[in-house]
Amino acid sequence: MRLELRDITKRFPGVLANDRISISADRGKVLGMLGENGAGKTTLMNILSGLYKPDSGQIFIDETERTFGDPVAAIEAGVGMVHQHFMLVPVFDVVEAVALGAETTKDALGTFDRAAARKRIVELSERYKLDVDPDARIESLPVGVRQRVEILKALYRRSDILVLDEPSAVLTPYETEELYAIIRSLAADGTTIIFITHKLNEVLEVADDIVVLRRGRVAGTADPKTATRQELANMMVGRDVELIVPKGPAKPGEVVLSIEQLFVRDDRLEMAVNGVDLEVRAGEIVAVAGVQGNGQTELVEAITGLRTPDSGAISIGGKRTEKWGPRQVSNLGVAHIPEDRGRDGLISPMTIAENYILDTYHEAPYSRNGVLNLKVVRERAAQGVKDFDIRTPSIDTYAGALSGGNQQKVVVAREFSVPVQLVIAAQPTRGLDVGSIEYIHRRLVEQRDAGAAIVIVSTELDEVLAVGDRIAVMYAGRIVGILAGDDATYENLGLLMGGATYGEGTAA
Amino acid sequence: MTAAEAALTMRPEGLAARKALRNSRLRGAAFAVFAVLAGYLASRSFDVAATFSFWIDKQGGETATLSTTVGAMWVVAAIATALVGVLQLRSAEFRWRRWLLVAIAPWIAALLGNLLAGKAAVLTNVLAGSLELAAPISMAAMAGILSERSGMLNIALEGKMLVGACVAAIVGSIVSLATGNAVLAVLAAVVSAMLVAALLGLLLAWLGIRHKVDQIIAGTVINIGAVGITNFIFLRILSRATEYNSPPPVQAVRIPVLADIPVLGPIFFVATPYVYIAYAMVAILTYMIYRTRWGLRLRAAGEKPAAAGTVGINVLQIRYRALILAGLISGLAGSYLSLATSSSFQLQMTAGKGFIGLAAMIFGAWHPVGAFLAALVFGFADATQSLLSILGVDVAPQILQSIPYVVTIVVVAGVVGRVRGPASAGQPYEQG
Repeated sequence: MRLELRDITKRFPGVLANDRISISADRGKVLGMLGENGAGKTTLMNILSGLYKPDSGQIFIDETERTFGDPVAAIEAGVGMVHQHFMLVPVFDVVEAVALGAETTKDALGTFDRAAARKRIVELSERYKLDVDPDARIESLPVGVRQRVEILKALYRRSDILVLDEPSAVLTPYETEELYAIIRSLAADGTTIIFITHKLNEVLEVADDIVVLRRGRVAGTADPKTATRQELANMMVGRDVELIVPKGPAKPGEVVLSIEQLFVRDDRLEMAVNGVDLEVRAGEIVAVAGVQGNGQTELVEAITGLRTPDSGAISIGGKRTEKWGPRQVSNLGVAHIPEDRGRDGLISPMTIAENYILDTYHEAPYSRNGVLNLKVVRERAAQGVKDFDIRTPSIDTYAGALSGGNQQKVVVAREFSVPVQLVIAAQPTRGLDVGSIEYIHRRLVEQRDAGAAIVIVSTELDEVLAVGDRIAVMYAGRIVGILAGDDATYENLGLLMGGATYGEGTAA
Repeated sequence: MTAAEAALTMRPEGLAARKALRNSRLRGAAFAVFAVLAGYLASRSFDVAATFSFWIDKQGGETATLSTTVGAMWVVAAIATALVGVLQLRSAEFRWRRWLLVAIAPWIAALLGNLLAGKAAVLTNVLAGSLELAAPISMAAMAGILSERSGMLNIALEGKMLVGACVAAIVGSIVSLATGNAVLAVLAAVVSAMLVAALLGLLLAWLGIRHKVDQIIAGTVINIGAVGITNFIFLRILSRATEYNSPPPVQAVRIPVLADIPVLGPIFFVATPYVYIAYAMVAILTYMIYRTRWGLRLRAAGEKPAAAGTVGINVLQIRYRALILAGLISGLAGSYLSLATSSSFQLQMTAGKGFIGLAAMIFGAWHPVGAFLAALVFGFADATQSLLSILGVDVAPQILQSIPYVVTIVVVAGVVGRVRGPASAGQPYEQG
């Protein structure tokens, strides 16, 4: 079916989330919707799925105007949604999770007709080659399969228009390829697809048309056959951006971080880091690539003293630190940019100035005899805001009120406010816009050139390729390969991230 | 050999595994110590008779008697404990929590024998009493399961039961005075108790859903309010005008045929209707929660409300309805207290039964059948306590009365271990 949105406007208190957005997608076509966080993609999608009502504007499906008062109306109109954060009940099995909300019942008690639902799911998964075990419990499935369950959920409701929100965010490169194949086969079968993403490569790969959103408006459209990454990036940001931060060759010095045979358990006591060996030298950036959940989080926590390893050795600047706590490690000159800045990087209800001294508040010059010297705190925080170009009304603004990019700059400013010999940056640019990514990368390269050893943990291949002097790939708690930055490509990294062993020891 | 392969072959047992092994050995040693202790107690009590009897057909009729000595009972306990200890020492993976019951049951029996010190005890009363006392706890647990499965914490069960008990006593008395019809009075009492408790459930839902008040705090407010209001009513009105606190009692009902089964009949099939309703409720809720569309949606609302909301399910409506239904059930449970146990309302007569119901819910892993079995454990503790008090054993009554609560603490803190409740219980849901 043909989908058309005309002049959709949606206002939230203080924000114009969607400003007269008009887009259209023809039957059997894939429309790639590109935009940074905060560009209005999610709002538009929620309008399309009936979760929000637009303030003005019209939605046409096959030239008939439709209004969606609630999700049911959208589903009945044939719009199916695959959410970025999967909307599946973890303790249900596939049949229950797919049928939820569209259950067939077989008697007056409302007994769920499981057999009928199961039959239909098996038929659909065979027809569209969505390989899924209908009796498996959702929480036991890998994310790639969960996504297929999400797609099945939409097909089960006979959706002709499928909206995919950042569908590749949690997938391995291989799973992403499989997803593209599924999208192409669905489109060939007549399904209209809206593919929402902030990744430039994806729209170029899979879309028939591209529309770019910026600050709630349509910034432009492009033809994937002729458009380039640079053009799309500039359109997204609204100015010329550098996709790759300029950096000279690394000048590796002595070993700063050395990890030997490290084993670390996760919260469920499963072995998450399974014998990692890694050396990082002064003046180089080692990027640790891998799909989310392959032990990177626990590795970072072990290095920074947040989690005690089971066994193995960690040395930082020649000192054995595997049994140390976070403050001791931090005092060695280790900067930690945590993975989840909202949870571990900042205290949202505290001001920028207070957040700026979180790891040094107990030391001179910020405090003497347990009393804070607020004058010095304010001076230094103001300097940090200036140096790191943090866009904020004042240093007394609550950290939680800042945009994601500015929040991350506060974290980076704090971590770099004292001399560092080692930087551990976990997902340093997750959820940031292209402009902020550029800025953070620049700062990391600066630290490298000043002689620090840098570890960047990232799930984004673009980031890993852009900044890594060496790239270590983690899979199932091990480092399955270390590549020199120049030798790494999407293809060989993708293979390693999916668990293939390749290039073992190369340039290590 | 690659680094990855080396890591595999050198895989150390690790801190947690070592800890598990150590704990396993400690547990094994503890079982051994208890086995020896039981043996020692056995050696001292072979001369103490243990006599347990059962009514064959009816209360006060003929009895069937089991006679042994307390020493023999301790021998059984020693053997059972030693067996569990050996199994534990053989493997660190041993599922000791389940086997704990095998060791504990003979210990409880033997301890009982010791406390009775030769006095004969009629077990029919204890077992039938366990079922009776378990009924309100089980109902409270069902109300808790309904609420938490929908995503709402419901610690206000206690207060709803208390108010239900009070309303049932007053309405039952008034209707009985006005009409003289005991059956009508009981029905009116039960229905009004359920409706008032359902209103309190609605209040909790309104506070927790509409105003997003922390559900624990909202529940506590209702509990405190219930104590205050019922205390006021009792002290100002009921204690002076006792005719308003004399509802007709609910009597035990004999189920024809089944009640004539020797020994078992008097235990299982001579009981107040509440007990039969409690059985039925377990069966109905189990079917409804796990086999119907309603149950699927209820569980989705408690596990991952956003998943339900995005497919158009009205999560808030599910939660409102679940809390109202839970209110109806807790009102019924409350009416049991004033109609079936003492035939009057007493100050704070719930005495924690709502909370014990929640403990049963957790012990039973939020499953109706499990919660019912857990309620039986608590009912048994309560019935044993009354048996010992009646027989006048040589233990301070305060200690005897604390048995059900001690059992609750031990069960929830020690035996239950890690069970997983509905993932989103207690979290408000924002519906677009």
